[in-house]
Amino acid sequence: MAAELRLEQVCKCRRDRQGGMVEILRGVDLEIPAGELTAIVGPSGGGKSTLVRLLNRLEESDGGHILLRGVELKSLPVLELRRRVGLVLQKPFMFPGTVLDNLQLPFRYQGNAVPAGSDPRLGEVLRRCGLSPELLKREARSLSIGQQQRVSLARTLLPGPELLVLDEPTSALDRPTGDRLADTLRGICRDRQLTVVMVTHDLRLAGRVADHLAYLEAGRICEAGPAATLLETPASPELCRFLAGGEGEDA
Amino acid sequence: MNPAAIIQLSLPDLAAAFGLILLAAALARLQGAGQGRDLLWSALRMVAQLLAVGYLLHFIFALDHPLPILLLLLVMAAFAVQTVAARVKRRMPRFYPVVGGAILIGCGGTTMLFCTLIIGLTPWYDPRYLIPLAGMIIGNSMTGASLAAERLAGEMAERREQIETALCLGAPARLAAREAVANAFRAALIPSINAMAAMGIVFLPGMMTGQILSGTEPILAVRYQIAIMCVITGSVAATAFLILLFGGRSYFTPEHQLREESPPARG
Repeated sequence: MAAELRLEQVCKCRRDRQGGMVEILRGVDLEIPAGELTAIVGPSGGGKSTLVRLLNRLEESDGGHILLRGVELKSLPVLELRRRVGLVLQKPFMFPGTVLDNLQLPFRYQGNAVPAGSDPRLGEVLRRCGLSPELLKREARSLSIGQQQRVSLARTLLPGPELLVLDEPTSALDRPTGDRLADTLRGICRDRQLTVVMVTHDLRLAGRVADHLAYLEAGRICEAGPAATLLETPASPELCRFLAGGEGEDA
Repeated sequence: MNPAAIIQLSLPDLAAAFGLILLAAALARLQGAGQGRDLLWSALRMVAQLLAVGYLLHFIFALDHPLPILLLLLVMAAFAVQTVAARVKRRMPRFYPVVGGAILIGCGGTTMLFCTLIIGLTPWYDPRYLIPLAGMIIGNSMTGASLAAERLAGEMAERREQIETALCLGAPARLAAREAVANAFRAALIPSINAMAAMGIVFLPGMMTGQILSGTEPILAVRYQIAIMCVITGSVAATAFLILLFGGRSYFTPEHQLREESPPARG
């Protein structure tokens, strides 16, 4: 399978409270296969969220290369890149207004023709994300967190990104709701042949839906490969420890 | 009334007026408010500062040259920037160039517009007009600048999630920060709007009162007051707009990335 995204020796430093520099990512090498769901798993504070923020250049890497279909991310105009790489942040933020208003926002931001409320794409994307099209008229902030997370997903999917990246999409959800959302992602990935990258600290969830798995700890990818292989026969001591510790069993 | 007929204030008259400060200090003591020393110290500072500025103005008026006048205005603007810096709890990135530039351009532009096009000063630097008018414009714009800078910093910190979500959805930085900037602009303009709405009813403005006291016909004093309020409002709006235009941008990299939060200002 061709790599949709390739990370080579990616580094990222951040300033700590004392003003010193802390290395968050220390030479990350990773391949994200096209049309599959890759889960990046690891303990909290390991650099997972920082890593996904580099994928749509919400933040800039300090070293290494990130290639989208062979093209260096930094050589792409950033607003075009963000249209191609849809990133759903950990906490769903609903803008004031209805679900429809929220779904129309990316089109307004990107200066494209805004779909009207009757546009069939809106109902279709909501259904695909496990929501009823009747929610279009609802005040977005009146929805449950689980529903907001799905609206957030629909809002990112609607303009048709080539790559969908999600940062801990289930962290605010209870287990059944989180599982349903993960299954939805699985379905979207399969049906649309969309490349999906999901960050999670929940191994169980990753095992449930991911084709590929990368284990990130202390800013380094310790192990990566097919999810089933990694979960059954982990090779790196870090992943063995993580599996044995049962970390991430509960979101 | 002829300005020459203004009642002169002699030093004994001033001393008598100062007696009221002593009365205030005595009343503060009576109330156990513990402000007696502060009151006297502030009053003494007022006397020293006003005398200093009085002699400085006397000297500058006598020189009748644009350079010392512009220098004085620059010093006033620098103090205004420093006052804004002291007032805001959180400073935006590139605070001094942004606020300094905005005050210089916003206040300088409107002051020049007022002096040359509206009242048609000859010479354009006539200190009797330029200095007090610029002083009022800078003073009011400073308040607007503080409110704009403070509110912008607060909004940008509180709305990080919203702004980053908008950026993720493909918004350019300007659109992602639009709400934060609009709220900051609104905050900056509120005092001017309130002052205009209450003027003449709730209070008689200082400039107008001063002009009337010094013998100006009340209707002419009112016209001046209307004009200066319009210029002040324009200057506050221009200064706040420039702070928000360049200050809003300073929170982002050229690649539409929200910069890391800057630490709160000291003091």
